[in-house]
Amino acid sequence: MTAPVIAMENVGIAFNAQVRIGAPRFWALEDVSLTLNRGERLGVIGRNGAGKSTLLRTLAGIIEPDRGRITRAPVTCQLLSLAVGFMLHLSGRDNAVLSGLLLGLRRREIEKRLPAIHEFSELGDFFEQPISTYSTGMLARLGFSVAMQVEPEVLLIDEVLSVGDADFAKKSGAALRARIHGGTTVVFVSHSDAQIREVCDRALWIEHGRSVMQGDVDDVLRAYHARAPQTAAA
Amino acid sequence: MRLHYLELILFSTYAELRAERARSYLGVLWWIIEPAMNMAVYYLVFAIVLKTSQPDYIPFLLIGLTLWQWFKSCVSHGGYAIWQSLPLVRQVKVPVQVFPSVQVLADTVKFVFILALLLLILWGYGYAPNWAYLALVPVLLVELVFAAAIAYLFAAALPFLPDLRFVIEQVLQVTMFMSGVVFALDVVPVAWRGVFMLNPIAVLIDAGRGILMHGLWPNWSALGVVALISLALYAFASGLIAHLTPRYVKLPA
Repeated sequence: MTAPVIAMENVGIAFNAQVRIGAPRFWALEDVSLTLNRGERLGVIGRNGAGKSTLLRTLAGIIEPDRGRITRAPVTCQLLSLAVGFMLHLSGRDNAVLSGLLLGLRRREIEKRLPAIHEFSELGDFFEQPISTYSTGMLARLGFSVAMQVEPEVLLIDEVLSVGDADFAKKSGAALRARIHGGTTVVFVSHSDAQIREVCDRALWIEHGRSVMQGDVDDVLRAYHARAPQTAAA
Repeated sequence: MRLHYLELILFSTYAELRAERARSYLGVLWWIIEPAMNMAVYYLVFAIVLKTSQPDYIPFLLIGLTLWQWFKSCVSHGGYAIWQSLPLVRQVKVPVQVFPSVQVLADTVKFVFILALLLLILWGYGYAPNWAYLALVPVLLVELVFAAAIAYLFAAALPFLPDLRFVIEQVLQVTMFMSGVVFALDVVPVAWRGVFMLNPIAVLIDAGRGILMHGLWPNWSALGVVALISLALYAFASGLIAHLTPRYVKLPA
């Protein structure tokens, strides 16, 4: 077996609770260990506040651990983020470029992908209009179309598998599933057992910022629900 | 990697200016009108009401205000930049120094328009272009580095001390009066004059006036000292931001 793409050993992350002198810190992650292998699709389950989103942002390299160790192979690793850095008074096209740059693409890479973004978003002439004129659905379409143009080797997903109204939800869901099952390494956070079963081939359960169990999806889900029978399966 | 950040800074600057233009009815015209109104107020107070009797007071005042307002807007906009970008910093991995840099660049673009207007006015008053104009390049570059350095310092600290917001404007106000923007430093008692000339902005404005009004080359040793101070501050402030970067994302929303 090859070396893992990312390995976390006893990682802890502390946030400042308030901006004030001597304000206490709280540990969003206490002690999380995981290994992620190339091509693997890891599902993360846990209750609200267990630290799932913090874990994803740590994997993405946005947050650095306060204790423990994280080692990563030289891979690109991105959180699927919609509408990052969008500015209301700019056109859809300018926002696509800006967002793409923030997500780590080079200018010429985005320029090359603009026709695809334009087409996938189905915005037509609105693509050249300021996004302040967009409906919520149009914004979601643009945000998703841009986000999909970033093709990291490790894709991190926080709950969202599709966006927009019924039609676009189907289209965006299909595009994202195609990406997920196209050999990309994926970490997927969800509250839904059904989605975890559909997307993932392995699961990690975290509780109060600690990794409790890692392994086969069904085993982990069974143990998770055995501990907390009141948690409804979605 | 580096080139990527340069592209990000340049495009964000374009986006910032473009959005600002779209936010108002008169758009780009405000880049000129706002500083012009500001100058008019100072002119009214100091030249008309207080009857400042200094010769050449109008060009003296306009040059001082032009160079000062550039510095001031860089510091006040740049100083807020990281604090205002915290939501973005939590979402993507991006070097935070980008944010104050964008503000400083955007204000520099606007400054170029005002500088052009200033030159037209000066020529209209009979202060002809001269060879010393060449020295504007180093003077303006040093001011840019100094403004960026101070903007970075405030930007670095503000997320941890949001209270600084209440201080920045006051500090800028005091600094303005200590920079000889509206009155010549000659009126300052001799004992204080040395202290005033330690202020880099005072040195830069003085050099600017010498060049534009009298065709004088700047005092190179004073400019050299200011350049060194500015570069040292710039390096320190950049290092500070890099050092603090892991901590911004851990601040409360």
